Amino acid sequence: MNIIIVGSGKVGFSLAEQLVKEEHNITVVDNDEQALQRAGDQLDIMTVRGNGVSAATLREAGAADADLLVAATNADEVNMVCCLTAKDLGTKHTIARIRNQEYTNSVAELRRSLKIDMVINPENTTAVEISRLLRFPSAANIETFCRGMVELMGFRLQEGDFLVGSPLHTLPAQIKKLALLFCAVDRGGEVSIPNGAFIPRAGDKLYMIGRPDSLDQFFRQLGRYAPKVKQVFLVGGGKVSMYLANILDRMGIRLKIVERSEARCRLISERFPHVTVICGDGTDSELLESENLSANDAFVALTDRDEDNLIISLYAMQQGLPKVITKCNRQSYAGIVRSLGLDSVISPKFVTASHILHVVRGMQNSQGSVMNSLHRIAGGGAEAIDFTVGPNTRNLGVPLRELKLRPGILLAVIVRGKDIIIPEGSSCLMADDRVIIIARESGILDLDAIYAAEPAAPGGNGK
Amino acid sequence: MNIKLVLKLVGRVLLMEAAALAVPLAVALLYGESPAPFLLSIAIVAAFGFGLSVLPAKRQFFTREGFAAVGLIWIFTGLVGALPFIFSGWFATPIDAIFESCSGFTTTGSTILTDIEALPKGILFWRSFTHWMGGMGVLVLATAIVPKLGIRSHYLTQAETPGPVFSKLVPKQSQTSKILYTMYFALTALEVVCLKIAGMPLYDCLIHAFSTAGTGGFSNRNASVGAYGSAAIEMIITVFMLLFSINFTAYFLLLTRKWREALASDELRFFLTVVFGATAILTVTNLSVYAGVGESLRYTVFQVASIISTTGFGTADFALWPQFSQLIIVLLMFCGASAGSTGGGMKCSRVLLLLRAIRREIHRITHPRCIEVVKLDGKLVGESTLHSLLVFLGAYVSVIFAAALIISLDGFSFSVSFSAALTCVSNVGPGLELIGPSGNFAAFSGLSKLVMSLCMIIGRLEIFPILVLFSPSSWRRT
Repeated sequence: MNIIIVGSGKVGFSLAEQLVKEEHNITVVDNDEQALQRAGDQLDIMTVRGNGVSAATLREAGAADADLLVAATNADEVNMVCCLTAKDLGTKHTIARIRNQEYTNSVAELRRSLKIDMVINPENTTAVEISRLLRFPSAANIETFCRGMVELMGFRLQEGDFLVGSPLHTLPAQIKKLALLFCAVDRGGEVSIPNGAFIPRAGDKLYMIGRPDSLDQFFRQLGRYAPKVKQVFLVGGGKVSMYLANILDRMGIRLKIVERSEARCRLISERFPHVTVICGDGTDSELLESENLSANDAFVALTDRDEDNLIISLYAMQQGLPKVITKCNRQSYAGIVRSLGLDSVISPKFVTASHILHVVRGMQNSQGSVMNSLHRIAGGGAEAIDFTVGPNTRNLGVPLRELKLRPGILLAVIVRGKDIIIPEGSSCLMADDRVIIIARESGILDLDAIYAAEPAAPGGNGK
Repeated sequence: MNIKLVLKLVGRVLLMEAAALAVPLAVALLYGESPAPFLLSIAIVAAFGFGLSVLPAKRQFFTREGFAAVGLIWIFTGLVGALPFIFSGWFATPIDAIFESCSGFTTTGSTILTDIEALPKGILFWRSFTHWMGGMGVLVLATAIVPKLGIRSHYLTQAETPGPVFSKLVPKQSQTSKILYTMYFALTALEVVCLKIAGMPLYDCLIHAFSTAGTGGFSNRNASVGAYGSAAIEMIITVFMLLFSINFTAYFLLLTRKWREALASDELRFFLTVVFGATAILTVTNLSVYAGVGESLRYTVFQVASIISTTGFGTADFALWPQFSQLIIVLLMFCGASAGSTGGGMKCSRVLLLLRAIRREIHRITHPRCIEVVKLDGKLVGESTLHSLLVFLGAYVSVIFAAALIISLDGFSFSVSFSAALTCVSNVGPGLELIGPSGNFAAFSGLSKLVMSLCMIIGRLEIFPILVLFSPSSWRRT
């Protein structure tokens, strides 16, 4: 697809990087020569210098035959006008990043009158992501598929867990009969797909996919079932915090926010009367202790400095809070952060970029099957992809034991109607199934691409 | 420096070059000549290339790896091109063969051969074919046809595509390369057809079309294009030399029907102004040599096109022209063709920007508080671009003088030593006096020939990749 990205900032760059990997034709428009140069040096893209609002610039960037324009500059108004102009020039779809709450309250009208196909608000998206993690405190990460029918969770193994030290195929029967599958493991940054002979070790991060109630059951058996979060401690009172407060308010979770600026505190208190607002320095351990940090069920660090967030999260973890969520914009230190034991690290630009990616993938219908969504798991080391099987997809009705998948690919779950099927040798794909694939390499865009180079012909090879 | 990955890339490109050697091999077989030089070269290059391409390497690839890869690939390419020459036995020393090969790939067109017509057809074909490959670029070709070369492949093509600012036609580098080569191929084919209609034998058509396309200048005749004595052939070649020294982006814009953008380029106007101006002035000053305006115009326009496009074909020996005319020719050698074309030299856009920067500086001195920006094609040119432009100019001149210094050890006159260095760095071909259009480079010492070969590659890659390759700081671990 021909995609124009206006704004080469954090989100724009991150998005371009991912889309280039998926073989799209990307043109990035920005006013800043240096930002463009950086993007052009690192990615196989075309760059156009100019203001994305101007029709001439957009025309130069090829808006006339672009399939999608993503306006991700830091000014909402610019993004809106960009989308409007691009639509006029002939761009098929537009996505605008709009973060001002005044605008987001009237998203529907804006979308209609400006012909924007999708409005994305990074802060709100981040808040939704955090609220999901708070809803399922047992897992470090969680992804949902097929409108919540299937969930994928990651958790870290500890010394003494019954899983540690014995191969997966020797698991007790009551675990085996649960509708779930261990689909990926992250050992010291090395991501692999475990088979029956895999022996888990303490410190491994295991990912499993399956029915939500089965996953709950599993955590109960593991003795790791964390009760529902009732009281959250939040440091930083920025936009994300406001959105989060809004969501948690509706979920009935009590919230305590520590924020440095008094004006900001007043604003929060005015808007959310149920929230306890403390005006003070959230990085001051004495203040945190005096506010009885360790009595909370979860801790969220949302200040605008990555370093502060990491340090206070480590402090909260040391204080024994069962759930610690950290906002960290910089991706480059992901490895270090994970080695420190902080599992739930959220990066707004990453969340925003992957949100837009879902939409892009949905727009591009591949030949035999339709990709519904793609989730990057295990810190980007693997992907979980949700396909709908089409009538022309290869190998329909062939039992899986007769098929050979490419190495590094796992057919994890088949959703047929209301049934969740964990595939066995006798299972087969049928048209209209939803299938979730785990792939260690990126670039699987079609269900037909999962088979090894010498596939069994459909119906044949049964001898 | 991730040397293994760099060598792996070199290996892949060498494999492609082994395949390219099959073209002259076919020509040699067609004319019943010995295929041995080409078979031997293919075997060596393929074996070596394969050995390098299977090296296990980490995927770390940054700017310095890109520059080093470009430099190394071009040096290896020069050596690869020399193999058939060495095995053919027509070249006195391997150094002569390397000089001829570098001159071919960098589209310089300087030769050490005294009797070109004596050589077998296969060898002469390879000689011109190197022009064609080197013109648009070996790496541009590689990114177009070698799949998955693309670890930040624009680092590779950027160094090879001349001009102060690098721009793509379409977002994907491999796609851009394919479009460039398609247009290049189409224009070359068009020239072959035109020359054939004008009465040139088919083999000569191909040789001259390749040499024109790459703006190289190798001919299969001792007297170059002058040997045909046909005004029609000269006209055709003049037009095509100029066409190939225009930025290829213009053709792409024409193809996509953006007429106004294609013709509104400042550089194009500057280039045409220089061509017309120089032709007009030289036609007048050369009246002392030629019989009338018509004859003077015929030889002058060809020579001006030949020099500014940095092709270097000859129909007349400008060494016999008045001093004033010769100096203009030297200035044209400096200026060179357009950015994004197949020609060499400083490039018109750089010269134009320099003139504008100079004008601004003068303005600034008279109005110290005045703020003024430099524009090209109505777009702002960043201060960093201007800065690197000045550095480029400094480096360009330094390299020419350093090379001239070494060449002067051979004891030739100042104009020979200096014009030899200039013509090599600018990838033109002929120089002044001894090495003029009717002379050749055979008389220089081995050291001079090696220095000139390196100068040609330095000039073709626009200085910096080779300097980076030889700078210790890019090889240090820290």
